[in-house]
Amino acid sequence: MAIAKAERLMNLALCLLGARRPLSKRELRDSIEAYVEASGSGRGATASDDSFNRMFERDKDDLRELGLVIETVESLDGEVGYLARRDSNRLPPITLDAEEAAALGLAAKVWQQARLAGAASGALQKLRAAGLPEDVDPYEAHGALEPRIPVHEAAFEPLMLACRDRRPVVFDYRKASAAHPETRHVEPWALECWRGHWYLAGFDRDRGAERVFRLSRITGRVRSRGAGFTAPVPDVVTVRETVASWAGEIADRSARIRLRSGAGYPLRAKATAVRELGGGWDELDIPYGHGLDAWLVEFGPDVVVLEPAELRADVVDRLRAVAKG
Amino acid sequence: MAGKPVRPVNAIDQTRRMLSLVTYLRERPGARIEDVARAFGITEDELVSDLDVLPMCGTSFRGGDLLDIDTDGERIWWHNPAALGAEAAEPLRLAADEATALLVAARAVATLPGLREGDRQALLRATAKVEAAAGEAAGASSRLSVTFESEGGVFADVDRAISERRRLWIRYYSPARDEVTEREIDPIRLVSVGHTYVEAWCRRSEARRTFRLDRVAEIKILDEPSAPPEIELRDLSEALVQPAAEDPEVVVEVGPGGRWVAEYYPHDSADELPDGGLRITLRTPDPASLRRLALRLGRDGRMVAPRELADSARRAACEALAAYGGVTDTADVAPRTCSADVAGVDDGGHPGQGGDPVDSQGAAGSPGHAAPEVRGVPAEPGGLDGRYDRQEQGL
Repeated sequence: MAIAKAERLMNLALCLLGARRPLSKRELRDSIEAYVEASGSGRGATASDDSFNRMFERDKDDLRELGLVIETVESLDGEVGYLARRDSNRLPPITLDAEEAAALGLAAKVWQQARLAGAASGALQKLRAAGLPEDVDPYEAHGALEPRIPVHEAAFEPLMLACRDRRPVVFDYRKASAAHPETRHVEPWALECWRGHWYLAGFDRDRGAERVFRLSRITGRVRSRGAGFTAPVPDVVTVRETVASWAGEIADRSARIRLRSGAGYPLRAKATAVRELGGGWDELDIPYGHGLDAWLVEFGPDVVVLEPAELRADVVDRLRAVAKG
Repeated sequence: MAGKPVRPVNAIDQTRRMLSLVTYLRERPGARIEDVARAFGITEDELVSDLDVLPMCGTSFRGGDLLDIDTDGERIWWHNPAALGAEAAEPLRLAADEATALLVAARAVATLPGLREGDRQALLRATAKVEAAAGEAAGASSRLSVTFESEGGVFADVDRAISERRRLWIRYYSPARDEVTEREIDPIRLVSVGHTYVEAWCRRSEARRTFRLDRVAEIKILDEPSAPPEIELRDLSEALVQPAAEDPEVVVEVGPGGRWVAEYYPHDSADELPDGGLRITLRTPDPASLRRLALRLGRDGRMVAPRELADSARRAACEALAAYGGVTDTADVAPRTCSADVAGVDDGGHPGQGGDPVDSQGAAGSPGHAAPEVRGVPAEPGGLDGRYDRQEQGL
């Protein structure tokens, strides 16, 4: 039976961490059981060399993903050796009290995305090994709070890695009102979750400008592109402000509407002024931002737009579309 | 408490865990399985599977020993801790992904407006220490961020009621009915998934309900003790509401501009239409509550079934248009389309017919902001309302 990958990785890590001098590939191959087995005896030397080399390269990459700093050192006689130096792999001293530990414990549980959930637990386990206090149940310490970060979009993980490594990507994207997706070439800067949805900000190579994309509108696979970024990355990337302005959160004008008494609580909650008109109606001043027309139409005959005329026309237009059926 | 997510065995995660485990166990001879599993946030089975692998590991290149670690099912014994040099057993630095996952989550939790101040301070202190210890591995964590939304005051009251086990009185807005109702609830827990919700036992309906905090119009902590019945807590991670099989079916066809419906509503199917639109089938206990959606969609979609839903939206639109009666450009539509349907609608209490004339020149284009790729994100779409209020309505 093949030796489990975790066992192989663990042995490689322990060898590299325990070494006082660089270890050659041959030394590692001869001393780790899984490599001895994988190199096999029945097949030709070249084939087994290839399979060992591939496995060894993958394993080193995996350990580097886990945070191990593995150095490649060339000796005087030209042989390459590997080692994980103690001082570059050690966690700097960190002392956390019980409250701080409990708070981190709560934070480590919020990811619902497998890779990040695993990474957050891994971080906590490393801190635990370094003496992070235990015994406090984070739920006990934080009452009944259960924050969760939802990640349902398939594009999330490849984009997260591309942002991390600053790698350009290509994906098909369907704009909100477009019938068909379009291929976009993007230098991804940052991902942000707002109101439970993920957005990507980056430099759109085709349009030569910054763009924000909603991950749920990416269709198909996210593919990586070689080479690096061509446009400078801004110091601060603000995804939320851009999305919020399109979601009507940023209102620069005001509208006056008539609202049936008792109806439209959320409109009342946003109103800057409410006047009772009598006869079962109130008059409200409300902030007027993007998307207000669609929202007002939801209230049907309980809302009448008074001004501005532009909003009134938009609402009438929408109502006519529904009335036509 | 919520169950642990079931994770598939992942060699990377297991290796990561075992590397920390050897450091941890080296310091704690005879550690109890139960305690170690809790400290590592894993199940006892996961820990035992690690303990099966560890005796196969060691620094064997120099003829060193394998780790002689075993367990009697209760405690863990390491018979040759010297097999691992002290240098190989030191706590390891954080990887970039680990620092990112922990820091982004910690920063997000710290923004929860209702978090107790003491806890927030502890979290901020911890975040700063982890940033410092992570060093350059913390750099990429700025490329990911999360904002939780919640109403601070309401949150604090619910949190306090839960910890003091007291009943709450709330006035709660239900978008499906566009009404605010009063009710007494026994809060069970707070859940943040995009928005923040309180799961509670509703005394009025004698059933479990989920309430979105930003829809709580008013809240009071009562003197009565909270006494929710023992109920099994569900995993709310996928969706707060799963439609029930016996719910009536609703079919809506949307054009390209209405595709967002599929993003906001849990649905059974969404089939592509030739024009770039979708035919969406979903279930809800109360199709009438989707009238809001029909009105919002306008020319971007239509209700195919049930027929009454389309009719009620049309009637509502006609009734609404009547208030703009003086407007010339509705005249060609309103009387003809609406007359038959409007019969029987109580339009008493309408505002006068005379509205301001519509200035049709006023319809300016959209403002020329950057980043139009997300245009079309509904402000507070009926979708979210419908989705989450199903629960409140009686599921």
